[in-house]
Amino acid sequence: MKLYDYILSPSCYKVRLMAALIGVKLDLRPVDFHPGAEHRGPELLVLNPAGSIPIMEDGDLILTESSAILVYLAAKAAPEWLGSGKAEEAARVQQWLSFSGRLTASLGGARLHEMLLRPGDIGALQAQGIAALRELEAGLVEQGLRGMRFLAADRPTIADIACFPYVALAPDGGVTLDAYPAIRLWSRALRALDKFIEMPGIHRLHELKPEPQIEPGEA
Amino acid sequence: MTMQAMINEWYPVGLFSQLDSAGRTTALMGEPIEVARDADGNAKVTGGDGRVLPVRVRYGHVWSSLGEPKKELFPIPEADQPGRRFVDVGVVRVRCSPLRAVENFLDIAHFPFVHTDILGAEPHTEVQNYKVEIREEEDEVWATQVKFYQPQAAKSASGGITTEYMYRVPAPTCSVLYKTCPPRPSEWDVITLFVQPLAEDICDVWPWMALFDDETAMTDLIHFQQTIFLQDRSILENQIPRLLPLDPGMEIPTRADLTSIAYRRWLKRHNYTYGAQLVAQ
Amino acid sequence: MRLSHGFVRGETLSCIYHGWSYGQAGNCLRIPAHPGLTPPETIRVATHDVEETDSVIWVAVGTPASKPPRFDGLTPLRSLTAFAGIAAIEAAAGAKASPEGFVEFDASTGAVCLLLSAWEDGQTLIHVLLKADAGPAAGIRASRAAESLRRRAEGLQREIAQ
Repeated sequence: MKLYDYILSPSCYKVRLMAALIGVKLDLRPVDFHPGAEHRGPELLVLNPAGSIPIMEDGDLILTESSAILVYLAAKAAPEWLGSGKAEEAARVQQWLSFSGRLTASLGGARLHEMLLRPGDIGALQAQGIAALRELEAGLVEQGLRGMRFLAADRPTIADIACFPYVALAPDGGVTLDAYPAIRLWSRALRALDKFIEMPGIHRLHELKPEPQIEPGEA
Repeated sequence: MTMQAMINEWYPVGLFSQLDSAGRTTALMGEPIEVARDADGNAKVTGGDGRVLPVRVRYGHVWSSLGEPKKELFPIPEADQPGRRFVDVGVVRVRCSPLRAVENFLDIAHFPFVHTDILGAEPHTEVQNYKVEIREEEDEVWATQVKFYQPQAAKSASGGITTEYMYRVPAPTCSVLYKTCPPRPSEWDVITLFVQPLAEDICDVWPWMALFDDETAMTDLIHFQQTIFLQDRSILENQIPRLLPLDPGMEIPTRADLTSIAYRRWLKRHNYTYGAQLVAQ
Repeated sequence: MRLSHGFVRGETLSCIYHGWSYGQAGNCLRIPAHPGLTPPETIRVATHDVEETDSVIWVAVGTPASKPPRFDGLTPLRSLTAFAGIAAIEAAAGAKASPEGFVEFDASTGAVCLLLSAWEDGQTLIHVLLKADAGPAAGIRASRAAESLRRRAEGLQREIAQ
């Protein structure tokens, strides 16, 4: 599976993270998104006329849209990440997958504006981001009351992976996460998963490692 | 904070490769400026009132000034060495003082905590003593004999190595780092941070590199450096106080901070205070 | 850097930037860049009195004159932040805060209490507690009632601002 990837893209990171968590090896093909705008160049437009990344190639199959790629990865290698198949759970997964598009547009748009100088109405993007974060917070509170630590179940699903990156990187776009305790606990639960990988802007949880013991004489 | 002393310095304002005739609006120290390519293909920079500003094209970037620089742009001899690859990393905007962006670049004690498993890792956190001086003739801050153990020092490194560094500050908002070059151990890889002060608390950072590396794809080189800088960005946007303190106050420096201490002393000596605060708070 | 960006290991809190770690008394225990160094006593951070009572965390600014208010049988639900001042929230709830700081908010879902705390930039922290542990469905209804309250309070606050 070949992933057209940009290290700073939260959407590409969704795929990299999913693959790492379920032990799938990806063949990464780096795309010079910034400053080279390669995603809008002729070679990549052939694969994806939308001019967006990630793009996944698996044999003859070409997939765009990070949610679709998450579904594909899970379906092929770890179907438990799609949910149990029960109607309510499947619907919740779909609800949050759809919702994740709003996080990309609002928090992602704010981040691109603040960090990489892309055009946008920053006030509106941040306000839309806050509205989305409030909905996510309320959703996680309700899931907690149902005895579930993640968006669709008591175990993580692709819905969590789809929502996590833009939420974790909200501060890049000037939106603080201080106001959302349930989101912060959920974020920490994801970052503590076995085989979790970071991306730039999401730093390691050092508390997961005990204080290193320095032997006498060691530097 | 008076900008007078810093007004006659050169600052990066764009990538030469991305200039077009339509031009790009940006800013220097609060004043809007236009950066464009003229009919002959040369870089042209104009101030807010339309006046033509001084221009240089060097190290892949367009440089300009709101004043009249008395010195030429600082030299980097390695930039003229054959066989080197030059990497335009691309601009990143940061809501921090331009001076804080430089000072963070000079710091290595944060490597294990901020660039975990790349530039440093616990328990290899010790910063051994190194040498710092202000070179009076060039009027630059230099740190030499800096050493740090790094799990993945560069894209060209195949495992953990003890990297040697030299740091140099040739201008108030620019820093040059020289580090061990894995493919050619007798040479230094050059990594720079050119910082454009948009205002006292927001800047555009233009990293650039001159490396010996014939193996790694250009995009991978760009992404490695962007990774490092993006890991620093959230730290920079949360430092308190916003402006760089040039007087002793709340902070207590240790031996690991020698380069930062020299940088602040050099800034104060020159009255380079745009982005700084003078009274201890 | 604020220590709230940092990490907890055992009974120490460490700063995210250089990993300096602090004990509960506020003294610096370790500077990773200088592992052999015993940090001078002068390196310390300010501490505040903290109490955890009935699942609510109370912090005192300065020396507190008394203990935090006690309440029996309230179940904590969630905390949310409103772009509204305490007055707007009281108006939206139709009740004023008691001397202990509670606003009784009788949502049709069952009695709900709010603990309000002024935050930065005109925002207010709202801690929502339920009078009885009536199970998840009641909790969800109360959470949504609190969200409605916030919408009303923010609407009122915007009107005040105009």
